[in-house]
Amino acid sequence: MFSQGGLSLEQAPPISVVMRFFIMATSFGLLLGVFILIDKLEIASNFVQNSQLVIVHILALGVMASFMLGALFQMLPVIAGVVIKFPTKQATIVQLLFLVGLLLQLFLFATKQNPPLLYFLASAYLGGGLLYASILMLKELIQIKDHSSSSKGMIFALIGFILALSIGVYLLLTLGGFTTGSLFLEFKEIHYSFALFGWISLLIVSVSFQVIEMFYITPKYPNFMSKYLTLSIFTLLIMKSISLIIGIDSQAITLLIFTLFILYASITLHRLYKRKRPTSDATVWFWRLGMGLLIVSMSITSIGLFITLNHQLELISYLTFIGFALSVIFAMVYKIVPFLTWFHLSNQGYMEAPMMHDVIHPKKAKIHFYIHVAMLSLWTVALTLDIIILNILGSITIIASFGWLLYNLIFAVKKYNYTQKHTEKFEW
Amino acid sequence: MLKHLLDAREMVHPEPLQISMTLLQTISNEEYLYMLNYKKPIPLLEVAKEKGFRYLTQQDNEELWHIIITKNSVCNLEELIDV
Repeated sequence: MFSQGGLSLEQAPPISVVMRFFIMATSFGLLLGVFILIDKLEIASNFVQNSQLVIVHILALGVMASFMLGALFQMLPVIAGVVIKFPTKQATIVQLLFLVGLLLQLFLFATKQNPPLLYFLASAYLGGGLLYASILMLKELIQIKDHSSSSKGMIFALIGFILALSIGVYLLLTLGGFTTGSLFLEFKEIHYSFALFGWISLLIVSVSFQVIEMFYITPKYPNFMSKYLTLSIFTLLIMKSISLIIGIDSQAITLLIFTLFILYASITLHRLYKRKRPTSDATVWFWRLGMGLLIVSMSITSIGLFITLNHQLELISYLTFIGFALSVIFAMVYKIVPFLTWFHLSNQGYMEAPMMHDVIHPKKAKIHFYIHVAMLSLWTVALTLDIIILNILGSITIIASFGWLLYNLIFAVKKYNYTQKHTEKFEW
Repeated sequence: MLKHLLDAREMVHPEPLQISMTLLQTISNEEYLYMLNYKKPIPLLEVAKEKGFRYLTQQDNEELWHIIITKNSVCNLEELIDV
């Protein structure tokens, strides 16, 4: 297989694109911590209509989707050779629509007011921004010639995102009174299935096929896994959705999906254990924790298919799933940001470009790992015992976690700007 | 042509990119970088293209990527690749 040329760094997004999405995601993380704190202190109970829905959407859209879109804008050119034309302009349009739409949506979920016009505007901005981004990326991704297991998986993840978004828009319009809301509960379950498993999890799986081997020099994933896992999970999710719509039992399909995720996480843990260069920075620990939590979450949820779980255990299955996704996201952020800062500055010819450990020192990432573990541990106990002080401490650790990340991101931006302003550049 | 061999198979990302970019900043027309890597180094190839280098990539039967990058505008890259 030969290839010469065809790529251009001019088409790669500037560092500001990814940093803006990451800073937006981290700010929503801070908002999440503050909102949960207010909620647990029952300060907001007089005017908040549905705090659970607010928390879920701050987390899934404000935090996770923002991180993932920022990472995709950056990683698609690097991992798949995909060229997104006018990346800065496109990313700005997406981010503005997304931000306005999400704030509107959160306002509607939080308040007891429900003017239909605002539901329509929230659907239009949020759906418009995110669907535009995902269709734009999907269109470019489909056209590449040499697909890897990562790029194929990203296609399924983006289709999963488009389905989750489209159904989300339908649900939002139903709440605004624009549709009759036929099969509302079934579509709600399909919406969650595609958002959690078809988008967030499949994207993590796809990216891991590339980065686990590349970042940590591990043995390759088994061929059957890298070739067929994302396709299998996506197909099973479609089958589950059809079963829900036509009203037949989908328990066996759900169990198979959870089993495949447990298999994937176990193999990833094994690959990390077998890595050839046994360095042990915070990102390895974030990945290990994430995979461990995925196994716990999927195991509890699988048991829940056969017996009725008590409420606390059900909440812990949600918490471990959130812990899985956030752990992997943090692992990626602590790899992407130092790399991009060094790479862009070096490519621009700054001989004194800071090395990766000068951008975000590994010790700072390790501190974040400890805060993250403390946050998850506190919430595990808080959800089990339901003691108010633990809920408050748990909320404070969320604020500390995202606050620390925000500090690290701002430090990296300042380092980048300082190097550009105060060091010499040469042409090469 | 002087060959600079960089076996990146056991290197942690982004060591191969750091070493390659340092080399490419000083390389002459009579030299070339020959990299072996399990992954196709897309960012490095983007840099090479942007800076006016020529490159050739080829994957062997064991799925190992052979990458040649040079400033030389006339040499036959296919003759230099050892697959």
